[in-house]
Amino acid sequence: MSSQLRLPLGHLFPTAQGPHLLLSDGTRIYGLDDDAAAQLQEAWDSRDQQQAQELLRRFGLDAPAAYIDDQAPESMPVRALSLAVAQKCNLGCVYCYAQEGSFGGKAQNMPLETALASVDRLFEEAGPGDRVQLAFLGGEPLVNRPVLRQAADYAHRQARRKGIKLGLSLTTNGTLLTSQDGDFLERHGFSVTVSLDGLGESHDQSRPFKDGRGSFERILKRVRPLLAKQRRMQVSARVTVTPGRLDLPSTLEGLIEMGFHSVGFSPMLSSPTGRAEMRADDLKIMLDQMIACGRQFEERLRDGARYPFSNLTTALKEIHRGTHRPYPCGAGGGYFGVSAQGDLFACHRFVDDPSGAMGSLEEGLDRGRQAQWLQERHVHFQQPCSGCWARYLCGGGCHHEVIHRGRPACDYIRGWLHYCLQAYVRLLKDCPKFFAP
Amino acid sequence: MANNKIDPKNVSAQLQYRARGNPPATQPVTAISNCFPGLEFDFRNIWRRIFVGLVLHEARPLVVDIEDPQLEGFRGQLLVSVEGEDIWTQVSGPQVSGGPVQNLSGSSLEWANALASIVERGGNEVRCGFYDRNSQQVTEVNLQVRRIFEQEGVPDGESAVLAASLAQPGELTQSLCSPWQNDYRECACYYWAASRPDFVNSEEENGVTQGQNWLHKDRGPDTPKTYSLRNADLVSYEDLFRDWEQLRFIIRGQDEDEPQD
Repeated sequence: MSSQLRLPLGHLFPTAQGPHLLLSDGTRIYGLDDDAAAQLQEAWDSRDQQQAQELLRRFGLDAPAAYIDDQAPESMPVRALSLAVAQKCNLGCVYCYAQEGSFGGKAQNMPLETALASVDRLFEEAGPGDRVQLAFLGGEPLVNRPVLRQAADYAHRQARRKGIKLGLSLTTNGTLLTSQDGDFLERHGFSVTVSLDGLGESHDQSRPFKDGRGSFERILKRVRPLLAKQRRMQVSARVTVTPGRLDLPSTLEGLIEMGFHSVGFSPMLSSPTGRAEMRADDLKIMLDQMIACGRQFEERLRDGARYPFSNLTTALKEIHRGTHRPYPCGAGGGYFGVSAQGDLFACHRFVDDPSGAMGSLEEGLDRGRQAQWLQERHVHFQQPCSGCWARYLCGGGCHHEVIHRGRPACDYIRGWLHYCLQAYVRLLKDCPKFFAP
Repeated sequence: MANNKIDPKNVSAQLQYRARGNPPATQPVTAISNCFPGLEFDFRNIWRRIFVGLVLHEARPLVVDIEDPQLEGFRGQLLVSVEGEDIWTQVSGPQVSGGPVQNLSGSSLEWANALASIVERGGNEVRCGFYDRNSQQVTEVNLQVRRIFEQEGVPDGESAVLAASLAQPGELTQSLCSPWQNDYRECACYYWAASRPDFVNSEEENGVTQGQNWLHKDRGPDTPKTYSLRNADLVSYEDLFRDWEQLRFIIRGQDEDEPQD
């Protein structure tokens, strides 16, 4: 496969505009002349690291020092919290990491005091001009609507009083949304993510109500008015891809037509029961379909249309900037999940999971655990990541999935990034305005 | 387009890339005084090819080369006017403070000022006057002004990239000293590099301002407030090569306090 591992230094990839090189260090992309490409290809094919480095030096492509060293940050200020305002849910999704909302424990709501204390904790380390992010997740957060609203209002007042920029977000299954919710979310400029696993039947099979009825029609009825209200608010769709339900291009097209601000797909890699997890063959099919979605995006962009396929738009912007990071996300660094009982975890997925425990609101963030987490989770100390060209774009993959299932999707991730790199080179030439700051 | 070079594509690659032949200070991360006129490139060189068909000196209104054979007669002549405005003028004034007004030498305006009125007329012709020192005659000719910013291959023709036709490879850096310390010691008077301090620790007394040269070695509270240009007082080239860190930070015009151990 063209995106195979050869040298951890980087990845050579062909394009219609000639051969190109991604250097992992600093995520730098170069167009190559044919002679340089041939010499580098030889070093890459023979996995000769020393020769490859010598060539990079000769071509002036070596960097004076590594962009990312082995040193993990010892601590980071808290900049984002997600509140499990309701550890309960009205859906019975087959793969749910939260085990139908309760995270394997007692179904419960977050008390108001805990939500307000979380907001106070979020603002504790932020000063004027800083940006913080408050997310509401669950379970289904709208089950505990009064606490969600009061916490958001309180955060809004605190942000204004302290001169701190606040971003609010909500991840919902969409079944409980009301018109008043729409007004509230619009007023606060929420980023709303609605989980939808396809159109109609394919969604209903993955995300039924607890009694087995399909939820798609109900969600559609509730979400359409929300989509129409979008001004400050942005409503996105998140599609969890499970085996056998793989018609991504038509799903993407359908959801964009409905008016979602963006649409993104993620493969189901780790479920508590092992049900609906994607295997290698499923991921191969998914990769082909993601590339088909990408081709759809490229065509539309060339026609001058907005086509918000978020997996690709995010990847292209990161590739253009040269984003390079030693972690996949901010979990356990600047981002934490708060459980209904007020305990802190590495992210919303680790709620009530001892492997991601990080202290509590009452007793404080466990700085020792945070430092240990940041050290252990650094991509240089993850395997096989440290030898992979994609390590600084991928960051090692979702901690929760990796800790519970390992890394079954590396070929998929590399294959996807290989396509994104080629699409980047094409679009940089054809649609340079897309990359304007 | 044929692939005949290594082409940095994304932002991080462009920031790290050092084109073949460019000195180390041309990368943003290694730049010295990274603003105009800085030491990563010499901005004055964009004026050399501002008119199609001939090449000017980067600092003087002298025609140093000809690209259009029809203009061959202007080689070595002085550009003295553009669109009726003088580029070269006779300067008069006192030789010393309070002295009589007299004719001083002829002088030219710095390019960025002299040509400010035509920089937005890229693609159009303007009337230029050239002075031949042998015949002492001025001849006028219409020359086309080059655009400052690149338009080719740029969406809507909007770009902040200098036009390729303004400078050949290497020309933007050819007038820089290597190593950079030479430029840093050579040029002062709030000129080169622009962010380099010059007249420091100044005090005003009875309408007279006195202060010190930033390059004055071993400045202390008792060092006289005199702007010295004596080599013996100043940091030498070799001092700068070996130990440029001895140049002290200037905060609000004054030497930063010595660090407390």
